[in-house]
Amino acid sequence: MASITARIRRFLERPGSIDLAPFQRIVAAAGEREDDLRAADELPRPSTDDLAGFCAIMREAARRTLGLRPYDVQLVGTLAMLSGNVAEMATGEGKTLSGAMAAAGYALQGKRVHVISVNDYLARRDAEWMGPLYEAVGVSVGWISESATPDERRAAYAADVTYGSVSEIGFDVLRDRIVTDVADLVVPEPDVALVDEADSVLVDEARVPLVLAGAADPGDAAPETAALVRRLVKGYHYEIDDQERNVHLTSRGIDTVEEALGLDLYDTPAALTEVNLALHAHALLTRDVDYIVRDGRVHLINPSRGRVAMLQRWPDGLQAAVEAKEALAPSESGEVLDSITVQGLITRYPQRCGMTGTAVAVGDQLREFYDLRVAVVPPNRPCVRIDEPDRLFEYAMERDHALVDEIAEVHATGRPILVGTLDVAESERLAGNLAGRGLDCVVLNAKNDAEEAAIIARAGERGAITVSTQMAGRGTDIRLGEGVEELGGLYVIGSGRHASSRLDDQLRGRAGRQGDPGGSVFLVSGEDDLITHYVADEYARGVPDRELVGHAQRVAEGVDMEIHRNTWRYTRLLEQHRAMVLGLREKVLRGRSASDALSGAAPERWTELSERVGEDVLDEAARQIVLFHLDRCWADHLAYLGELREGIHLRALGRLSPIEEFNKEAKPAYERMLAEVESRSIAAFEAAEITADGLDLDGAGLKRPTATWTYLVQENPFGTEWERILNRLTTKVRRR
Amino acid sequence: MLTAFTRAFRTPDLRKKLLFTLGIIALFRLGSVLPTPGVNNENIARCLQQAQAGDSGNIYGMVQLFSGGALLKLSVFALGIMPYITASIILQLLVVVIPRLEALKKEGQAGQTKITQYTRYLTIGLAILQSTAFIALARSGQLFPQCREEILIDKDNIFAIVTMVLTMTAGTGVIMWLGELVTDRGVGNGMSILIFTQVIAVFPAELLNIARQKGAFVFAVVIITGIAMIALVVMVEQAQRRIPVQYAKRMVGRRMYGGTSTYIPLKVNQAGIIPVIFASSLLYLPQLVTTLFSNSAEEPNQVVQWIEQNLVRGDTPAYMIIFFLLIVFFTYFYVSITFNPVEVADNMKKYGGFIPGIRPGRPTAEYLNYVLTRLTAPGALYLGLIAMVPIVALAVVGASQNFPFGGTSILIMVGVGLDTVKQIESQLQQRNYEGFLK
Repeated sequence: MASITARIRRFLERPGSIDLAPFQRIVAAAGEREDDLRAADELPRPSTDDLAGFCAIMREAARRTLGLRPYDVQLVGTLAMLSGNVAEMATGEGKTLSGAMAAAGYALQGKRVHVISVNDYLARRDAEWMGPLYEAVGVSVGWISESATPDERRAAYAADVTYGSVSEIGFDVLRDRIVTDVADLVVPEPDVALVDEADSVLVDEARVPLVLAGAADPGDAAPETAALVRRLVKGYHYEIDDQERNVHLTSRGIDTVEEALGLDLYDTPAALTEVNLALHAHALLTRDVDYIVRDGRVHLINPSRGRVAMLQRWPDGLQAAVEAKEALAPSESGEVLDSITVQGLITRYPQRCGMTGTAVAVGDQLREFYDLRVAVVPPNRPCVRIDEPDRLFEYAMERDHALVDEIAEVHATGRPILVGTLDVAESERLAGNLAGRGLDCVVLNAKNDAEEAAIIARAGERGAITVSTQMAGRGTDIRLGEGVEELGGLYVIGSGRHASSRLDDQLRGRAGRQGDPGGSVFLVSGEDDLITHYVADEYARGVPDRELVGHAQRVAEGVDMEIHRNTWRYTRLLEQHRAMVLGLREKVLRGRSASDALSGAAPERWTELSERVGEDVLDEAARQIVLFHLDRCWADHLAYLGELREGIHLRALGRLSPIEEFNKEAKPAYERMLAEVESRSIAAFEAAEITADGLDLDGAGLKRPTATWTYLVQENPFGTEWERILNRLTTKVRRR
Repeated sequence: MLTAFTRAFRTPDLRKKLLFTLGIIALFRLGSVLPTPGVNNENIARCLQQAQAGDSGNIYGMVQLFSGGALLKLSVFALGIMPYITASIILQLLVVVIPRLEALKKEGQAGQTKITQYTRYLTIGLAILQSTAFIALARSGQLFPQCREEILIDKDNIFAIVTMVLTMTAGTGVIMWLGELVTDRGVGNGMSILIFTQVIAVFPAELLNIARQKGAFVFAVVIITGIAMIALVVMVEQAQRRIPVQYAKRMVGRRMYGGTSTYIPLKVNQAGIIPVIFASSLLYLPQLVTTLFSNSAEEPNQVVQWIEQNLVRGDTPAYMIIFFLLIVFFTYFYVSITFNPVEVADNMKKYGGFIPGIRPGRPTAEYLNYVLTRLTAPGALYLGLIAMVPIVALAVVGASQNFPFGGTSILIMVGVGLDTVKQIESQLQQRNYEGFLK
């Protein structure tokens, strides 16, 4: 009876989460064996065939090697991950240890485990920290860092358990796709992925494509265009849309530009593109907000993390336009050779699991996109944090005042304060305001992971004020300093609601770890982006009510989910094409597929050459030729599909389904690509200079990845037919 | 199309989907002929025959069309898909009026799920209303006014009546579920497939009727005309004018493929089937009015007389002309509502798109409007002509008003058929790849 009530409660409160009862029984059984093991001198080798035994041995191993005895709930988390779920465990519950035990469990089954973390710092820290535990149970461990050489990477991947950040592993996978020699491959066949901060990696960053770009021609944005655009006036020559994402010329702007350039813009697409890019760089991107200029180069700033994104570039000529705007020498413009989304990367692994502090809110998406279920692991000690209701203000200014007042008031008691801001600019502004009141604070904006981890670890000390953006210092616990408990523990203040309530919960979760006292409050104003972007229609003025804030978050989450789903629907076909091309590539790389194809297509030349240079040299030459053109045509195919997708939403106007139309056009394109590979390879084979030293494929040099970026297309900005009718009718009615 | 089907049947998971859909269709048809408990089957059959022979057979024309003849048989699925369709239309309208629904709709998928749930509740509500209404009609003998037979076995037993209402309501619920099952796990859009099923379900009987009553020659003529019309409709439905669009926001390296794949497809028949349905619904109104007046004992006035002479029967010149004009009007009306050139032009401008050689903004809107207006003219004529076919046929060969290749039926049939085949083909396409390297 009790289990039925528990089941119903779970269904109502955490729909889609799994039942923990079986795991709890195993952990209870493991507890009975603890004393025997503690007496043993040498621990037996654990095996996942006997889960209770496995838990007991891992617990004892962790106690001996790390000095940490895993709580029952940590073992429950381990078991949940071992059966392929995402374990939801609050901050401070010891996810790292739980995850390491699960990874060891998989490794002991003979599987290769990749523990995917958010950044290089955490990958290294966790691998080193958990190293003794792995060693004790006979599992080897390695980690990847940004600066690792291919040999170091190969060594790390050869270990049973490999820690790495999602982007490093993704780049390795991408680089493997353009190697021309089997010996250069780095990443082994994927087995198990254990994803740390699963919601952030699998949902928030899932749409972000990791892009492998090769340096092509230098960008050709003319400084003259940048100069011309600088003369244009906002509102008169050009207009910017509400969300500040698009800019376009007005008809007066078109006149001015056409006069200056002496041509008809809408008959010369190249000139128009250049003007549009220059305008975008001029009107939508601000120096020191969106990018900084350092050492004569443009570096992007990632708005959500607030860090300088070293590897990022803007796509498709925008980088060159910004460089022209800043009168810098143009850098080489990358051409996309291949790309992979985080989602595509993770779904390569046949077995997936993960852990995070907030998973239930994205349970639907985890199920839909990754076939993962959520296991909600209860905290070891119940959370006693006091979450105050939001404080609401009409104007951002009022909120900012109240924020500083609140900080000053609480700080006077000596209670440590963590302020979560939505972006970097805000955290800097707040630091300025606090300094004006004579309050010292530490600002974190995810510029240096290691340093920040150290700072955030001290955020719980008496009298500390720490200002941080969302991602900063994630993965590090905030322990309370001496005497802080009596003051009420860590006090978390959010300077605004995030676009998703899940991110709010992440921030809140910083306080009240392991049954510590703590408190949290959010200050929201009617001028926040959340309100102005998502519920502009419903909100007129005045103090927004709480229901509206919740609604705005739900709208934002809905929009996000829709974009995610949409992106996935389009990338699925692309992934299919990619899988086929990679299959072909694999055969060419490892087998004689290229030789067979070319000798079949040009038998005379083949026999002639093989007599002259020998079979082996010719095989290698054929392989290089075909690989080169395969990669070349694949990059072209990607560009074509990108272009196709950009305008495919227009098909909805003819009552056609954009996704079906996309599929319909993509298939012949794929066939054209293969035909192109064939004809180009044969032509190259006929013309190439092949000597006994092999073939000289100049310009086929392989390029380093230099860029990552994202872009989105809305499938149907026009809405469905019915929506269009209703919209028109309502606008007519409301006009009256 | 046939090759697509045979290829689909060779692909295991597609075959499973197709068989699943066919299974659902079979179940659906079974429920459409399965009589509701308490109905006198033989008497109903007799009444139906009388009604078909008589002229007033078209009062429930549209309803009958969508229910595949199930309605007047008072079967378990008598109400068909209409309650669900009506409910979704009502909810879509309510979204505009009720702020709470509007808020839900904006919340994306999660909100949409809730709205769908409300639609289902409303469907059940409508089904209770409609089934009660039809049973009441049947009880009082008004379902077949000319027929004197008792169509309910025990019309005074309240328990039997309640059972019938419940059965039909439950039937509607099942239909809703079947439709959603097809959408989720079968091929095509479930609701469209079910409508399609009901529209073609009456074909065999109707054709047999013609063959029996008019002889082999008329039968052959009807078949040939039917096939020719289907071919014509397929052709026109596929016809589109492609207006090229370019996006100039990105600098893309070298382009390998010539030609442009970005365009606005403007259909010749941009309006679809809606104008025909609007026009015929509107023409039912005078009939309704006259029915009301004929009940009073007074001598009908001139207007009513004229309506009775010209608009009740479909084969009068006045009816044909008015019908045709209405269709042309509604086509233009509907296109003007669904395709707003200004909105499209604005949207293109915002995302950096343009028609080569034409400036964005007003010039683009004007150009789109120019093309659309000229394209709608043949579209409207075509719709009018197709809709006239059954009426002309009625006059020429004297076939019944339910002439199987009626305009609405053919348009629905071809529309749903094309959509479904396209969907199957697109799924098939993802499976057949082969090429140069082995």
